[in-house]
Amino acid sequence: MQRWYVRPLVRLIAALLLPAAVPAVITALIWALPGDPAAIICPPEVCSGTEELAKRWNLNDGPVHFFTEWIGAALSGDFGRSWRLQQGAPVAPMLIESIPNTALLVLFSFLPILLGVIGAATRVLPRAADGLLRILGLPPSVIFALAASAIITIKYGSAAFGDEAERVKLVLGALALGLADAAMAGAVSGVRGLMESERKQRYVRFGILRGEGVLQNTLPNALPAIIGQLRARVLHLLSGAVIVEVVLQINGLGDLLWGGTLYQDFGVVIAAAFGFAVISAGLLITQALVEIGVALHVRRAPKVVAP
Amino acid sequence: MSRVIAGVFAASCLALLVVMGMFAPEHLAQPDLSQAYASPGELPPFGADNRGRPLLEYAQQGAQVVALPAMLGGLVVLLFGTLGGLLACVGSGRVQAVVQGFGEVVGALPRLVVVLVVALLLPQDMRGLTPIALTWALLAAPGAMDEAASVAGRLGGARFVEALRAHGFSRARIYLYHIVALNLRPVVVRQAIETVMQVVFLEIALSYLALSDSQPSFTHNDSVRSWADILYLGYQVILDVETGHALALGLGLVGVVALMSLSVTWAVRAR
Repeated sequence: MQRWYVRPLVRLIAALLLPAAVPAVITALIWALPGDPAAIICPPEVCSGTEELAKRWNLNDGPVHFFTEWIGAALSGDFGRSWRLQQGAPVAPMLIESIPNTALLVLFSFLPILLGVIGAATRVLPRAADGLLRILGLPPSVIFALAASAIITIKYGSAAFGDEAERVKLVLGALALGLADAAMAGAVSGVRGLMESERKQRYVRFGILRGEGVLQNTLPNALPAIIGQLRARVLHLLSGAVIVEVVLQINGLGDLLWGGTLYQDFGVVIAAAFGFAVISAGLLITQALVEIGVALHVRRAPKVVAP
Repeated sequence: MSRVIAGVFAASCLALLVVMGMFAPEHLAQPDLSQAYASPGELPPFGADNRGRPLLEYAQQGAQVVALPAMLGGLVVLLFGTLGGLLACVGSGRVQAVVQGFGEVVGALPRLVVVLVVALLLPQDMRGLTPIALTWALLAAPGAMDEAASVAGRLGGARFVEALRAHGFSRARIYLYHIVALNLRPVVVRQAIETVMQVVFLEIALSYLALSDSQPSFTHNDSVRSWADILYLGYQVILDVETGHALALGLGLVGVVALMSLSVTWAVRAR
């Protein structure tokens, strides 16, 4: 029997390692690529001063030197400079500008999912809705995003970058993100299945006989698994946000990562991936804390709940 | 809908995808401006693009781009899912802890972020959908393993194997027939076909995003068109360009893949 603290401990360790591991892996892979990293920014055949540039951007002394300098600077808020996307521009302002948009997009798309999950857990949302949600969730995010983009283009035309249009983009983008790729349907049916199987446990029937509520008994045992499902959904939303942001031209973290990838801008990619890693680490810590909280609350190992 | 109908429909869709890909032309036909924006009625079966080239060739090339990598991705998830279920039946706590740790690390980041980093770091000569599909499949694998393990856990895990051994069944029969074929099948096949669908949609999304930035795609070379090109052409309908037929074709192809996935799930569901 696995001890109750193993899972949260693994999550906490993964959360601590993730923000450092992601830039470390990217750095290692940059050096594993054929050619000199400095030559990617400033190919010697078309530009002079490659060596000077390599020295200034810590590319002259191998991957370990680059990584330690980068992570040290990142901890003080300096995420380096863009290699190609906006060559030479600092990446930190790009991150600061983009993170709130991504946060809003994911938050707006997560709220209906959370309501759906609560509805499924409490049986307020009827089972008949699952089929409808599943059909709605069939199209991929790119299709929903294109539909949203079409609405924006038709309604706003050349004013598609005005304040009002930007707000509408966020709302439509969140709607696209929340419905596409079965985000809502998966969360609702997953939590419903979890709670239904928990309701069938004998201890719940004993609880009812004692005059206690069903949710009061099932929730503490099912909560870690529900939080796990919600974390997976947020990761799913963050993944889809890349597509939605690019199609709807929302200036977010996903859009930044896409731009960096497209133009082979390792400076931007490493910072954007670090941003995603920090968010992912936050989610892991949240899940671990909930698991620990539930374990302490019930004063025993959390019951293993079949998903 | 019966399992047989769902299975036949899914197999037909899969066969259509493979056959379309197998007979895809290496290059698109020469432009024929007299057929520009031809409707399906004027140039059957799907009409033509802005330069009079048949959209059928776009659909075939798109199928060629996605068919093999998507199925490879599905196969990887199928194998990992089966492995996850079987490991749960072995009943080793250490193995399960290792599998959980693997899942935590691999599944901790948003998948598309990892895919984009992989796409960025792939050398030029290795670019294509296959490495991206395999990356996606590896990222999807822990979920499949987890679900398969919980199915095996509900079955009784190691105790189920012991009970069948007591009935005189061989280990091979227990693992391959009783556990994999009878119990894990609905879960692992569903996970695999969902991965197939996700890889197809991922290709469309990545190619579309590259197209919208007028950049080459990570998933195929420039001489080949993807289904995203059909959608990109069709989307111009909102600018009053006569490309409604391309939009319908693009959405139809997406719909066929989604319905194929649903049908497979239905066909292999547990009794």
